[in-house]
Amino acid sequence: MSELTLPKKAIDWFRNITTLAIVAAVVWSLIGLEIKWERLIDLPADLFLIGTLMFGNLDIADFPNLAGAMWESISIAWVGTLIAALFAIPLSFLAAENLVGRPIAWVIRQVFNILRAVPEVILAIALIPIFGLTPLTGVLAIGIGSIGTLGKLFYEVIESIKKNPLEAADAVGANKLVRFRWGVLPQVMPEMTSFVLYRFEVNIRASAVMGLIGAGGIGNDVALALRFKDWEVAGMGLLIVILGTILVDAISGAARKQIIKGSNAKLPSAVEV
Amino acid sequence: MTASKVELPKKPGIPGAIIFSLVFAFVLTVVTMITVEFSLTEIFSNFGRRNLVADGLLNPDFGQILSERSLSAFIETLQLAVLGTVLGGGMSMFMAYWATEFGNPIRWLRAIVRTFNNVVRSIPDLLWALLFVTAVGIGILPGLLALFFFSMAVVTKLTSDTLDGIDMGPIEAAKASGSGLISMLRTAVIPQILPSYTSFVLYGFELNLRASAVLGLVGAGGIGSRIEFFRSRGDWSEVWGLVLMFFLVVFLVERFSVTIRRRLV
Repeated sequence: MSELTLPKKAIDWFRNITTLAIVAAVVWSLIGLEIKWERLIDLPADLFLIGTLMFGNLDIADFPNLAGAMWESISIAWVGTLIAALFAIPLSFLAAENLVGRPIAWVIRQVFNILRAVPEVILAIALIPIFGLTPLTGVLAIGIGSIGTLGKLFYEVIESIKKNPLEAADAVGANKLVRFRWGVLPQVMPEMTSFVLYRFEVNIRASAVMGLIGAGGIGNDVALALRFKDWEVAGMGLLIVILGTILVDAISGAARKQIIKGSNAKLPSAVEV
Repeated sequence: MTASKVELPKKPGIPGAIIFSLVFAFVLTVVTMITVEFSLTEIFSNFGRRNLVADGLLNPDFGQILSERSLSAFIETLQLAVLGTVLGGGMSMFMAYWATEFGNPIRWLRAIVRTFNNVVRSIPDLLWALLFVTAVGIGILPGLLALFFFSMAVVTKLTSDTLDGIDMGPIEAAKASGSGLISMLRTAVIPQILPSYTSFVLYGFELNLRASAVLGLVGAGGIGSRIEFFRSRGDWSEVWGLVLMFFLVVFLVERFSVTIRRRLV
């Protein structure tokens, strides 16, 4: 009588190799970085000290000035996002495989990928010598930096449109413009608008740090206050950044939900961006 | 018999809400443009001018990355991103669990955890770096801490959203069969979220990699300090050489990471 044997468990090579690679990377980093870990012991005390210095005696007199600076940051983010959308919309139509051929779509997509890889702050550094330490530098840095992400989100929307409205438009003899107006636009508008708002929320964070390198907005005030140990101003500034960001997130998020309500669009999950 | 008039139904007008939002968006745009002193003429006249930055971009010094100091700063950047993500991602597992109803049944405690997450998430990466530089001084430790907090916040948010949507059936089954906390998590929760969690951590890694390049601008270590050094001297060829080489690496790592993420989800 032959013995029954269980089949061998299959080896999940993908999983093993990935795990091994991650462990190796972590070990390599731990050995390579010369971190003064003992400084961590003092960290909670240091943070507490700075926290009390910053938030211990907030002065409401600092509020108007810093709120104005936060408004400048929000403005930078909004105008920058609109500029990005202005470029991303036409480009994204060229990146949609269902509208243009594959080669053109591939080229435009690589442009998006490259733009996506560069952080806004690096762009701002490059733009400062040209436009000076002005909010306009921040606007352009955010505008150029967001084209890639918006373009990618947009072309995915365009590629997912349904054929039926287009066929209906063709069947009644619509010309190109009418076909676009009634066949394509209603399908892509809600999602595209909500993506623009989503990117605006992301860009608020980017524009808040533009000031750290002098490109306008509240980051400038916070950085200077920290440098000159002007703790109360730094604390108030930080508080305004946090409250302002959360407030804009809430308003913009509510607007997005309204916009895509009813259409079967989904909110972008950050992971796809 | 008189023929009754056939009345066409009224054409639906544009809803008030849409008109309101359009007007709002328009006013917002005008006001913000005034705030940032937006001017097309300035953009065109300045871009048209010959400048050192563009000259540097046209002939970047790629060799700079191989110089001893830049190379070690470059490797430091990669290591910071790896370690910051692993620590931040690991911590976010707990934070996300404590932000859910089944993981943290006490309502006010849950509210505190969620508020903490939202506050941490609303502070941008570079501002974290600046705060930690102020707290512990210039070096790579503030950089690591900044990346840790930043990626923890992002991964926590994404993971807790996933946790909120998991199937409660397996959890009930595990509890009914008398399993403890660890075995309940091991058998009922982790299998449900592991693929998305892994992909969130990889996403956090991509974010950290990009962020780690600029940490040096505020004195928090990595390649950014070299970029800042050459920028302050006006050596734009070196700046662009470093930036382009770094982003080639980021680009490759990202493609790799995106491929893995696609396979996971």
